[in-house]
Amino acid sequence: MKPATMPTEELMGSGHLACQGCGATQAMRFALKALGPDTALVIPACCWAVIDGSFPHSCIDLPIYHTAFETAAVVASGLKAGLEMRGDTKTTVMAWAGDGGTFDIGLQSLSGAAERNDDFIYVCYDNEAYMNTGIQRSSSTPVGAWTTTTPVTNYKREPKKNMIDIMAAHSIPYIATASTAYPHDFMRKIAKANTFRGTKYIQIFAPCPTGWKLAPELSVKMARLAVTSKMYPLLEITDHGQKLEVWKDFEPTPIAEYMKAQGRFRHLSDAEIAGIEKDVEAKWERLLAKERMLASIPGL
Amino acid sequence: MIKKVEFKTYREMPIRPMTVGDMLWNLTGSWRNVRPYYDFKRSPCIVGCPTSENIQRYIQLVTENRYEEAWRTIIDNNPMPAVTGRVCFHPCMSNCTRGEYDEPININAIERSLGDMGLENPGWMAKAKATGDKKAAVVGGGPAGLSCAFYLARAGYPVTLFETDGALGGVLRWGIPEYRLPNGTLDKVVKAIIDSGPITVKTGVKVGRDIGLDKLEKEFDAVFLGIGLARSRSMDVDGEDGEGVEPGLSFLRKVNGGEKVDPGKKAIVIGGGNTAMDVARCALRSGSDVTVVYRRTVNEMPAIREEIEEAEKEGVKFEFLAAPKEILRKKGKLAGIVFQRMELGQPDESGRRKPVAVEGETIRMEADRIYSAIGEQADLEGISEAVETEWNLIKADEATGQTGRKKVFAGGDAVTGAASVVEAIAAGRKAAEKIIRIFTGRAESGEAEPATVGIDDINTDYFSKTRQTKMPRIPVGRAREGFGEIHTGYDAALLHREADRCFSCGVCNYCDNCWVFCPDVAIMRHENEYEINYDYCKGCLVCVQECPRNALSTREEGK
Ligand SMILES: Cc1cc2nc3c(=O)[nH]c(=O)nc-3n(C[C@H](O)[C@H](O)[C@H](O)COP(=O)(O)OP(=O)(O)OC[C@H]3O[C@@H](n4cnc5c(N)ncnc54)[C@H](O)[C@@H]3O)c2cc1C
Ligand SMILES: Cc1ncc(C[n+]2csc(CCOP(=O)(O)OP(=O)(O)O)c2C)c(N)n1
Ligand code: SF4
Ligand code: SF4
Ligand code: SF4
Ligand SMILES: [Mg+2]
Repeated sequence: MKPATMPTEELMGSGHLACQGCGATQAMRFALKALGPDTALVIPACCWAVIDGSFPHSCIDLPIYHTAFETAAVVASGLKAGLEMRGDTKTTVMAWAGDGGTFDIGLQSLSGAAERNDDFIYVCYDNEAYMNTGIQRSSSTPVGAWTTTTPVTNYKREPKKNMIDIMAAHSIPYIATASTAYPHDFMRKIAKANTFRGTKYIQIFAPCPTGWKLAPELSVKMARLAVTSKMYPLLEITDHGQKLEVWKDFEPTPIAEYMKAQGRFRHLSDAEIAGIEKDVEAKWERLLAKERMLASIPGL
Repeated sequence: MIKKVEFKTYREMPIRPMTVGDMLWNLTGSWRNVRPYYDFKRSPCIVGCPTSENIQRYIQLVTENRYEEAWRTIIDNNPMPAVTGRVCFHPCMSNCTRGEYDEPININAIERSLGDMGLENPGWMAKAKATGDKKAAVVGGGPAGLSCAFYLARAGYPVTLFETDGALGGVLRWGIPEYRLPNGTLDKVVKAIIDSGPITVKTGVKVGRDIGLDKLEKEFDAVFLGIGLARSRSMDVDGEDGEGVEPGLSFLRKVNGGEKVDPGKKAIVIGGGNTAMDVARCALRSGSDVTVVYRRTVNEMPAIREEIEEAEKEGVKFEFLAAPKEILRKKGKLAGIVFQRMELGQPDESGRRKPVAVEGETIRMEADRIYSAIGEQADLEGISEAVETEWNLIKADEATGQTGRKKVFAGGDAVTGAASVVEAIAAGRKAAEKIIRIFTGRAESGEAEPATVGIDDINTDYFSKTRQTKMPRIPVGRAREGFGEIHTGYDAALLHREADRCFSCGVCNYCDNCWVFCPDVAIMRHENEYEINYDYCKGCLVCVQECPRNALSTREEGK
């Protein structure tokens, strides 16, 4: 057999409570493989607060601090400070929150911690809605999507919040997006984040078959199509928000292929999908323009 | 921890709400409706190969740098990859899944690399000792006979190999020219086969003339006839007999034997098969201006495509839809030839459209040499009396080579008519296997064939489009100047580049995807395989979907 393509040690075990094909769960396994056992987690209310198990059990063989919905970042700040006070400087603290807990209710505590540049990795697993409480819209839900609070007759009209730009505005040392379809890229980004001191923000696209009305086996495929359709660009922002690198080395795929596989977009007409495709294309071009612009500033 | 932690009293509880156990007690396998399971399938290349080489496997072994095992994998089905790697018409490649995506894997070139490695490492060939209580005679030292002898000897049965010629190889030796298959290479191949086990070679013996078939039947427990097609078919036209007109095979025999030949200033080769191509290119190399004349069109030519293209590149001219009508002689000396113009009519029994004469239309061509290469025939002297024949070919069972006489087997061109090296090898091996089954009394293994995968079963998201790695070669200009081998073979980098392109259709190649993507950590990665832990697999089927090569299948639970 060839050498393993990722570390073989499992810090996340079987028996957990995630749905079939859960992307958030794959993401956690990858992140823990990248970080290794010297890691402590902070998890606010979200699916992951349930997935890991019922008291007094957990599928993760690491300390986890389960905390209130809006407090992932601030608890991570405190946990790190506490560890340092006790002389432990090597344990990595990772806050692990959903998009609701990040884009919406947790934004203030995340912004505070990032402004202080507190030393931890913040991972938002982005499944584009409040899944744990029954698929309500979040500010991460993409335009066009059905959720229980944006029914098909009144599907979500507002575009997804640009969380990356918000984080870039905080001048933190490292920001990246990732996708569960590219685990090695994600693990590399996690490991890279861990080399910086300060607040590191990684947002991983993590399909939710249950909330997206998607066949579970297509979970990874959707995570791939989101990237290749340019819906979810994979990027890294370094040098405190000043350097942007966008991954472009893929065969582009049509957005329709991505959207039509998911029940949450089923109500959209071809014309509406075409409209979304135009928007996505324009955003992509702006992103590339920004990448070029930042690269052209002398001294960077 | 398989047991759930339960607190009987509050005193047993930790002071803070703290985890004390894992979740392994929660057997989530009970959620599953559909079960994924590893189910390796047949790669279509293997189906395409007449001798069923396990192509997928040896390419995978190459990617793992396990060359010796890769070579052994071929040897299980073909004792001469250094030969087929040079001259095979590679139907495997026409069947290759990757061909439907970008370009087929250059299987033939990979096979040649391994074949050459085998010749450089004679130690790779295991030496078989005579252990069997039965012995066999093999008649004919071409690919069919060599293959049959090899597999019988490998199983421990002593073989006596009879060959009319002074040396072994059959068409490989006296037919195929050195620029395609150097004699030095062939010598090594033949030696490796003969040295591999208890094989006694008797050259210069023509069975049926020098020794009777019935005598062999008495002396040996089995006899295999791999006598090929040794005679050129005659053209049946006026003026054929006489100076300047020669059967292509006899010309090739001279060229390959190192005899000086003089194909004149202007040579005409009649025919459209491999013999015609080889004669034309040899004549060209001996300084002649050569035209191949064929009675159908290029599409119907039975020669290997590459050979036709090479001949054309080297400067051989072609005239199609013309059949020889009369050979012109001036005072006995060859002056030229008249052809009947033809056109394509209805398809014949071979499926090719039959050429029919266009009344009144003829063409006349100058020539000082004419080579006929319109087909070969078996020389059944002393053989047709002993075994049943049909259309001047030996009648034998396709799958086993068994003839009407229990102890007599046959295979190769003498049974099929002009075919190919690899088909002859396959026939020799299959006959050997049947003979061994008879010797040992063991029945054929009744294993069901696995399903064959196709392009629709491949998850092409995992493959970007790439070009086939062409085999390096000397330039055409230099090639046509002499008889040096044209194709020079891959180096290690090229070999790996091409091997890495293989999809490994239907067979796990340890890409890790299923293990990586399982959200339930229910796939165990062992030393040499993966295993699904059904206690925890929830049946999401992500593994099945993300396997690039369809090495997993699904089954509904409870069925
Ligand atoms: C010029 C030419 C070029 C070709 N090129 C290709 C090619 O590039 N690729 C390809 O796949 N195929 C090619 N072919 C076809 C291929 O060579 C044959 O299909 C193949 O060699 C058949 O193998 P065989 O063992 O049945 O017969 P042969 O190769 O003909 O071998 C038969 C052997 O039996 C011996 N023999 C015959 N009668 C007796 C007897 N009575 N007693 C003892 N020995 C006897 C002969 O001397 C000979 O050595 C070519 C054929 C020709 C003629
Ligand atoms: C202050 C507060 N409001 C509401 C909730 C209920 N609640 C728990 S998880 C959740 C949604 C979480 O959504 P997200 O952060 O996207 O994570 P996901 O469930 O999608 O994984 C909500 C609304 C809560 N726990 N606390
Ligand atoms: S609801 Fe979605 S995110 Fe939550 S466990 Fe199920 S699949 Fe995962
Ligand atoms: S891609 Fe590889 S395994 Fe598949 S048919 Fe081609 S050579 Fe065979
Ligand atoms: S996904 Fe990869 S490792 Fe798993 S069965 Fe398929 S080829 Fe093998
Ligand atoms: Mg969410």
